[in-house]
Formats: sequence, structure tokens, C-alpha cells
Amino acid sequence: MKILTAVWATIAVITLSVSAEEVTPAYEVFELMSASSPSDSRSKEWQPGDGITMEVSGMAWFKESLAVAIRKGEIWLIDSPLSLDKENITYRKFASGLHEPLGLTADGDDLLVSQRGEITRLKDSKGDGTADAFLTECDGWNVSGNYHAYAYGPERDGANNLWVTLNLGMGALTNNRIGWRGWGGTIGEDGAFQPKSLGMRSPSGMGRDLAGEMFFSDQQGTWIPATPIYHLRPGVFYGNQESVESLKMPGAPFQMASFPKANVPYPEALSSAPRFVPPAVWLPYNKMGRSATDIELIDQDGRFGPFDGQLLVGEFTNSAINRVFLEKVDGEYQGACFPFMRGLPAAVIRLCFSPQGQLFVGMTNRGWSSLGNRSYGLQRLDYSGSTPFAIQEMRAKPDGFELLFTAPIDAATLSDTAFAVSSYTYKYSSAYGSAEILTKQHAVSGLVVADDGKTVRFRVAEMRALFVHELRTSGIQSTSGAKLEYPNAYYTLNRIPK
Amino acid sequence: MKLRRSDQKIQPPPVRSVTKPNLVWPSFLRLFRYSIRPFKATIGAVVLYGGVFTSAVHAQPHVVGYARFHSEKPTKEGGALLFSELACANCHGGSPVKISRKGPNLIDLGQRIERDWLVKFLRKPESGRKGSTMPSMLHGLKDGQIEAVVAFLGKRGKGIKFRTERHANAERGSALYHEKGCVACHAPTVDFKSPHGNGDSFDLALAISHPDLNAKTSLEALGLFLRDPSKYRVDGRMPHIQLNTQEAMDVAAHLMDFQASDPREAVSVKEWPKVGVKLVAEGKALVQKMNCAACHSIPEVTPLDVIPLKSTGLTHCLSSEPQAGTPHYKLTKSQRESLILFLEAQDEIEDKTGHLTLSAMNCYACHDRNGVGGPSPDTNRFFVGNEALGDSGRLPPPLTGIGHKLKRDWLIGALAGEPEKGVRPYLKTQMPAYAAHASTFADWFVKIDQKDGVRTLIDRPDDLEAGRKLLGINGGVNCITCHNWGDQKALGIPALDLSSLNERLQPSWFRSYLLNPAEYRPGTLMPSFWPEGHSSIKDVLEGDSERQIGAIWKFIKNGEGLPEGFANRLGGQFELLPRDRPIIQRTFLEKTGTKAILVGFPGEVHLAFDGDSGFLSMVWRGRFFDAYDTWFTRAAPFGQPLGDEVYEVPKPGTKGRFRGYELDEGGNPTFIVNRGGREFRERFSVAEGQLIREVRWVEGDPPKLRHPKNVLKSEASGENILTYTYFWK
Repeated sequence: MKILTAVWATIAVITLSVSAEEVTPAYEVFELMSASSPSDSRSKEWQPGDGITMEVSGMAWFKESLAVAIRKGEIWLIDSPLSLDKENITYRKFASGLHEPLGLTADGDDLLVSQRGEITRLKDSKGDGTADAFLTECDGWNVSGNYHAYAYGPERDGANNLWVTLNLGMGALTNNRIGWRGWGGTIGEDGAFQPKSLGMRSPSGMGRDLAGEMFFSDQQGTWIPATPIYHLRPGVFYGNQESVESLKMPGAPFQMASFPKANVPYPEALSSAPRFVPPAVWLPYNKMGRSATDIELIDQDGRFGPFDGQLLVGEFTNSAINRVFLEKVDGEYQGACFPFMRGLPAAVIRLCFSPQGQLFVGMTNRGWSSLGNRSYGLQRLDYSGSTPFAIQEMRAKPDGFELLFTAPIDAATLSDTAFAVSSYTYKYSSAYGSAEILTKQHAVSGLVVADDGKTVRFRVAEMRALFVHELRTSGIQSTSGAKLEYPNAYYTLNRIPK
Repeated sequence: MKLRRSDQKIQPPPVRSVTKPNLVWPSFLRLFRYSIRPFKATIGAVVLYGGVFTSAVHAQPHVVGYARFHSEKPTKEGGALLFSELACANCHGGSPVKISRKGPNLIDLGQRIERDWLVKFLRKPESGRKGSTMPSMLHGLKDGQIEAVVAFLGKRGKGIKFRTERHANAERGSALYHEKGCVACHAPTVDFKSPHGNGDSFDLALAISHPDLNAKTSLEALGLFLRDPSKYRVDGRMPHIQLNTQEAMDVAAHLMDFQASDPREAVSVKEWPKVGVKLVAEGKALVQKMNCAACHSIPEVTPLDVIPLKSTGLTHCLSSEPQAGTPHYKLTKSQRESLILFLEAQDEIEDKTGHLTLSAMNCYACHDRNGVGGPSPDTNRFFVGNEALGDSGRLPPPLTGIGHKLKRDWLIGALAGEPEKGVRPYLKTQMPAYAAHASTFADWFVKIDQKDGVRTLIDRPDDLEAGRKLLGINGGVNCITCHNWGDQKALGIPALDLSSLNERLQPSWFRSYLLNPAEYRPGTLMPSFWPEGHSSIKDVLEGDSERQIGAIWKFIKNGEGLPEGFANRLGGQFELLPRDRPIIQRTFLEKTGTKAILVGFPGEVHLAFDGDSGFLSMVWRGRFFDAYDTWFTRAAPFGQPLGDEVYEVPKPGTKGRFRGYELDEGGNPTFIVNRGGREFRERFSVAEGQLIREVRWVEGDPPKLRHPKNVLKSEASGENILTYTYFWK
């Protein structure tokens, strides 16, 4: 299949570090397609990349190809997607007629795809490269006809559970009182949806960590004061009270003795009802973007840079990608978030690694706006081997934090004001988002740089459990003179280590 | 200034019911009612948080702005607010509040108000309405004199004629009451479930209580009042919320818990006794002497001259036991001290920022201005609209800098409640109409919000086309992804129309807003496309932010053409045309439901299979389906067949469990459905314009199938197979 358009022929470059110009950028951006072709999707000649509709909504590595679901309801197989020459990259339509697919997972020789009303197994039994069986893999949630009642997934955890999350309805035809809206669950053996936990709002992205535990992102809005990344697991409540009516349905896995107190600071609300859990990480609104989407684990043995074991998180409004470092304290996940890359051409909604360690970034501005000025895009990020200068890890300590940088730092740049820490929380209420509240500045002291030159410890006075601790660095440079492009980090200190 | 809430949560008031007026629930039962609220109370009566209190605990006048902003300690600003809202200024003059507080027009009382209630109210205002700001005026009068006053008041007015609606629906009224914005100022009904969350308490400190409406008035009179409150309440404190007659009757029915549907069954105001001319004359003299006309419009009575405060001293009306003929306000200690602080500093207090006037009018119940006010945590959850737009889609806009933001004429229209000046159709809350005060208000806003040294927009004729590109989605800043453009719907969330923006906004405000939306609208979903003045678009107008913003304004103002990127829907380009093979498309479909699977065959015969019930739902001939809405319209409206010859299949009694479909070589689908533990496979194909339906199963009885209505069919059966062929007359 021939791919033309000259617009594609550029390899854009976005650098992670904005140091001296001669430094090789850490990630090279290869654009597979963009929204600038004049033909439309109903033309006989239409291919993804033409027209306005290559709006990525799901991605999975499938056999030797990249499978891409698009909002319009089609699945395309992209062959040779790792090629450096666009002429070699070809496109095959695998399936069509689907109802708003928003998730895609390979399962052996089949693909599993979410539609509004079900998870569907797509089989190519004749082996001709197109799906000929569309079998219901899982159903059992209510579909009221409200446009916002999306279904996401499935996503596989380390124990082979396939997770599905269900968006709340919002606006006309909404019915969140029945049918597991605002719930997450797994696919049962009989194909029935097994509700596991509730209190979600718009849980549009899932992904597992190295240990196989599942995480999901949610959207700031009613009951959700800022952008959260939660540990997805059975038996818990994530805070959105618009999902609680389904507890009255047969099949509810548990009951809640009480619901959290509203209009109080988040830490107080958390202690006011059992099962109510905080996010592992808050992504402070505006500072880290506005709308988290897909979660993708970096498990590439260094082929994607120094961030193995961490999670990448798509960012819709700001057309960006963020990075999350997690650690366990008292058996519960918490950690820090950092910006990873900005300036992508459209809203980032799906992320997918190739088996060789290249990251595909699927984008669409569908439904909301973003800073990206293309309506969709599909790009590939290839690691150049040049280590970006960044805060790689931020760990909580009983009396402060420990930072690991990706490269040795220049001790001369560590001034007294190199690290500033403030903390805040949010108000838990039915209102749409919350300002940061109870903000406090903390004294920082006891700066120690380890022998490796990359590890820095410092003490923070009066750290507060369940508060976000915002770290602002200034002036820090690596020994080779690189500056931090993203000097700040945000640690969600649910528990202070002992 | 931050919103402060009363430390003390007020418990829900006594239940009011029609059959048992003023039924009082023991406090422990009221608490119990709260705890069972999510499961719907079993008690029949409407319960308002702000129902009638007979206790003297709430004798003090209740001024919301004072309770909200000044209840912590006495302040001169709080005193200024009380001086206006307790109507002190009507006798003494000198209020900094822009719109004067007035009492209701005292006309037609004999038709509208129960005489017994009025007597009780005049003797002790707080017993007629908790927190009333009406002072007691009748202390020191003899019973006969009070009779005379009432007799006189009952004779004023021309006698209104009620137009009785045929229906009054309390349930609909409840929906209106909670959605139109009444609950911004008044308490919600206890068993109404707020759209956001299940908060089970409500702070009454900011809720203006209702009187016992069944004791005070009649359904018809209340409906008439709600239809146009400005007829009786000229000061805008109870504003005109633009209900039509039916809506007003519905809300009245809700407030009075009127459960019948025919208003003629409602109780009318009891006829007032006949009174002699002499008594009326005596009443008129008393009314004149007490200067009731200072606050109330009363036919034949005129207000007295201003009574300088210097002549009365500070303690005259503020005494806890004022002399006869002097108003008696049952002030709290803090209220009294605030008033004294104000009177000591009266000359130096001006309403420079609008805070006093907005507190007095309670604009703050809905609007934020300069970070002050806006819905309280308790009322916030009742505001509804289009939640896709975030809080901007359900909360009224802030009034920060409103006199700098809007053009004067537009502001006057918006304040006067002109419908075409409402640009947020998605907000359910109704902006009240302040027709009598609109231009005063607008001119004053323009004056106090004036900004010096604002930058104007760059205006270059050549930049028009760049404006079109910038508004669009191909290399622009995607305005039309979220904003409607005249009749063109936004591609994404439907935020307000941009095409007429130049008629509303001042260009300098537009510029400032685009540079930092969140500064003007905290919490807005609108991203900043020019962060810190730097454009995110480098290849249009050389990335010059000022020129880009000027170009956008220019294109809007020019009023010709569409921004780049609206899909061209002409020519049926989204119509699915099955030419060589069947086309399958899932969608929301009218009559079939949310799990419809459409199959379009070459040969102009098509069907919809219901993936919910697992049965054939519809067959049609002619054109197949236009997929535009399914593929692109964000709101995902239900579609319908394009062909006009539609044959519905009756809905089955028992649902099957749909398990998917398979396609054969020719693309014909076989639907798989589990019914009663057995699997049935239903294949559809079209040959020579006839629809062929083959049903197979493994063992047992054949399934009971329903067929399209008004369609001819032939039937053939074999072992575990049934074949129907549908054809047309």
C-alpha cells in the first residue's frame, strides 16, 4: 500500500534536555502520520493518515505489526512500523463497524477490543488478514445511550486478569444508578463483567507495573480534585460518589458502611470512610497537565533510556507525556511524577511499546481540545542512546527525600536554594476539581550528595502524610553542563516511611 | 476574602404539611430522616430545610451577605450592608449600596394574603417569616389601631384577577425549583437528591427561609407572584426569574405541597371582613405616621422627608426596647455593633469594588467576583448544566471585571434578562431579569471596572485569513473543537458560540483573556494557547501572539465564512453504500437501542439486529445509513435508517444472550445467541432483493421467532434448521 503525502517525510526532533545544541537529543521523533491530508474518510482511496479520522483510541503489538484502533470504529494493522523509511510502512484494515473502540489488547492470535457495550474478541480464522468473527468476550454493564459512558480496556495484569473500566455518564441520557458506571472490574470466566471496585469518573487509561499490579488514571472533575493515578485492585472506593448506586445491584462484590465526608480536606475525607483510598500519585492540575490517559510501563532494559520500571502516562490537553516513579511504603504504592516530553502534535491518548523498545504515541483531539494543533497523529519515539539529564527517582525518607539524577551533578550548582519544598492537598467535594489547599512551605536542610554524584539526600521539616510534596529545583546542572528541562517533581506522600 | 461557613450546622426544620400545619418533629426523628434520605423518605409531606420556625431563636433579621461575610466579628462594612438591607437608609438616607432595599408593594393584599397571617406578621415579623428584615412597628399600638392599619392595607389596590391554570404539577415544580436556581438563595427540599453527590446536610445560615406559605397565601396568588415577582418586589432582592405561567404554578404547587393537579381544588385566600370607612381612615393616618411608605409603595400614602441621623442619635432604632413608632429590630449584638461602626464611619464608606451591592443583592449566591462568593459548598451541588464543560458548564460565570469584559449595551441586556443575551444555553440556572435596575447596574459596573492602559488589538487587513486558520483545527488553535460557531456545532464539547463574540466582548478583555484564561475563569477547561504570551503556533503570522489574537478577533468581527475544519457534510459523503459486500456498523439506533448492529446489503435490503435482546429488530429497504453521527458527533445521537420503507419486528418477551457474529466469505453475518442455555445461529443474506434468514441449532425445539410486520414470507424447515425468505408486495 502506497503512502504518499510529503508532509510525513519529516523527522521532527524534540529534545529532552535543552542544553548545548550539539548534544544529541535523547529521543528522536518519527512521525508516521498526521492530520493534514485533504481527502476524507469516505473516499475509496482513503487510508489512515488521509483525511481527518486517524484518531488513535487503542494500540497493541500484534504478531509483527502494530494494531491501531481508531475512534471511528476501525482497526488497522501497520506493517513494518519500525522502519525508518515511510515507503516501507504499510497499512491493512483488519476490522470495521465497531462502536467507539477505546482499548485494544492482543490475546494470542486474536485481538480483544472494547466497544460501548462489550469487549469483543476478533478472530481471523481464515488467515486472510481481516477479522471474520466478532465474538462477545465480556458484557454486562449498562449502556444508557449517554455519549460519555465509555468502556476502556481490556488490560492484562501480571496474574492474567483482564481489566475493564467504565466511564460515568455525564449529561443527557445519563444513568449512573445501574450497571456499574464508574466501576472497574475483570472479565469473568463466563464472559460476565466482574465488578471489583468503584468511585471512578473517567478512567481512560490502564497499565501494569513491573510487579504485574494494575494502575489506572482518572480525570479531574466532580469528586476528583486533581489528576490521579490509582492502584487498581478489588474492594476499594476511589472517591467519586456518582458510582455508588450500583452497590444496590445483585452482584455487588461488597457494601460500603458509609461514604466519605464531603467538603473537607482530602486527608480528613480519607479517614471518614472505610475502603476509600488515595491515588498512588497525584498529578497536580496545570503543573503536570490536565488530563491523564494511557499508562505504559517502561520495561526495556535500557533500550528506552534510564527509566526502566517507571510508568509513562499520556497527557491529553497539554499534548504531552508524563513519567511516574512508584515505590511501596508500608505495602502501599506512592511516588512522584515528572514531565517527560511536551510539544506533541495532538492530545496523547494511547502509548504502546514495540518489542524492540520504541514507543508509539497515539493521539487525537477528538472531543476536547489540546495544545497540539493537529487533530490527530501517530508518532514513534526512538531512544538515541544519549542519556537525558533528569530527576530519575524521588524517594521518600523518614525525614526528607532522596533524589537520583540520571547523571552526576555539578556540586557547585547546588546552592542553598537549589531545593524548595511545599506541600498541599485538595478539597474532597462534589465540585469540579479543587484548588490546592492548606499549602505550606517547608524548610530544607542537610543536603548530602553521595559518592556516585547522582544521589542527593535532604531533610524536609514537618513533612505531612497524605499531602502532595512539591519539589522545585533551581540552577542544578550536570557535570557536563546540562540543565534540567523539567526542574520540578511532585511526590504524593501518602505515608511517611519509618 | 474567603467564604466562611457558620460553625453551627442548623438542623432541618419542622416538617410542614397541608393537613397538619406546623407539625413539629422531635429532633431525634429529624436526624433519623436525614440518615435514611438516600432511600426516600416515607413521609408524604414536602419538607423544606427553610420551613417555618416559630421559635424566637431566629428573631434576628437574616441578611445573607452579612451572614456570609461578616458573621465572625462586627465590621463597618457589615454595618453598611445592614444599614441598606434593614432599610435604615430609606428613612435616614446615606447608603453606599447601589440599589435601594424596599419592602413589597402593599397592593391587593386582600386578594393575595391571609389576613390572620398578616396580623401575626405585623405583630411579630419573625413569626411570619423566620429571619424577616421587616422591623416590628406596631409595639405600643392598641389592638384597635392594629385593626385599623390592616383594614386600610386591605383596601389598597385595584383587585387582581387570577388566571387559573388547568394544571399545577408539584413534581415538575420541584424539578424547576432545584434546577432554575431557587436553591441558590433558598433551601432545597430534604428528599430531593442533588445531582452531584449525596451530601446529607445543608448549612441553613445562607438560605433565605420561606414563610409558611399555606398560612400566608394561596396557590394562585403565589403562582402569580412567582410569574413576575418584580411586580410586587421592586428592589430585585427576590428577582424575576422568568418563569412562564405554567412553570410559576408548578413551583407554587411544589412550595405549597399541592398534590392535586387542578388548581381550582386549592384553598383560596379567605375573604377579609368588611370594614367601615372610619376605621380605614384611621388606619391610613397611622400608616402615614409610621412612615410605612418609606419602604413600601402604598397607594395614597407618601413617604416622609429624610430623618437625619443627627436628630435621632445612634441609639434611637438600635435600642433593644425602642419607643412606640420607632422600628424595633431584634438585632444580635454583632449586628448592632456593626451598625454602630458603620454609622461612625458612614461618610467614608463607598462601594468601590461592588462587594457591598453584590452582597446586598445576593449576586454572590451564583456568581464569584474577585474570588469572593459564588455557590457555597452546599449549594454548588445543585447547579446543573452540561458537565462536559466542567464547572463552566453548570456554574454561572464570574463577575470579575464584568464592566470591563462586556460591552455596555450587552451588559444592560444581560441584566435585563433579554433572552438573546443569554449565551450559555447549557446552564440550567436562570439569570434573573433586573429590568428596572439594568442600566444603573451596568453603568456602575462599567465605572468601577474601568482599567487604565489596556492594550488594544492589532488590526491588520491582511490577517483575516490567518484568523480563519487560527480558529480552525488544521494548524490552528482548535477553537472550534470546543466552541460552537453559529449554527455549526463544535467538533467536541459544545462551549459557547464564538461567532457573535465581538458583539458581547470588549476587544481588550478578549486579548487579556486569551493570554491567560485561568486568570479570568479559574477552573476553566480552556487551555492557554499563548502561555506567558508565547504562541504555541509558530507558523502563522510568524508566531506573533498579538497579531494572532488580533487576527482571530478580526475574522469573528468580519462575520463572513467558517473557521477551517468544519466537516463538509454535503453530498452524503458519510452515507454507507453497500456495493460489493455487506457493511456492518454498530451504533445507537432509535427504537432498537444502544447495542444495534446494522447490516447493509447490496440490493437495498438492510436490517438492524439488537445486540441487547439478541433478536432481529428492524428491516428496511432503500438507502442504508448515514454514519456521520456514529463516527464523528461527540454527543452520539441515536441514528435511524435512511430508507423510508421500514418494517419493525415486535420486541421479544424474553431476551437472549448475544454472543457475537461471524462473517462468511461473502461478508454475510451469522449472529450467535444463547437462549435458555442453547446456542442459536442466525444467518442473514440477500438474494434478488429478498432477505433470507436461516436459523440453526444443535438439538431440541425450534426457537420462537418474530418477523418484520407487513412483510411477506415463505418458510422452509429441515432438521434443526428453519429458513425464512422475506419479500415485498
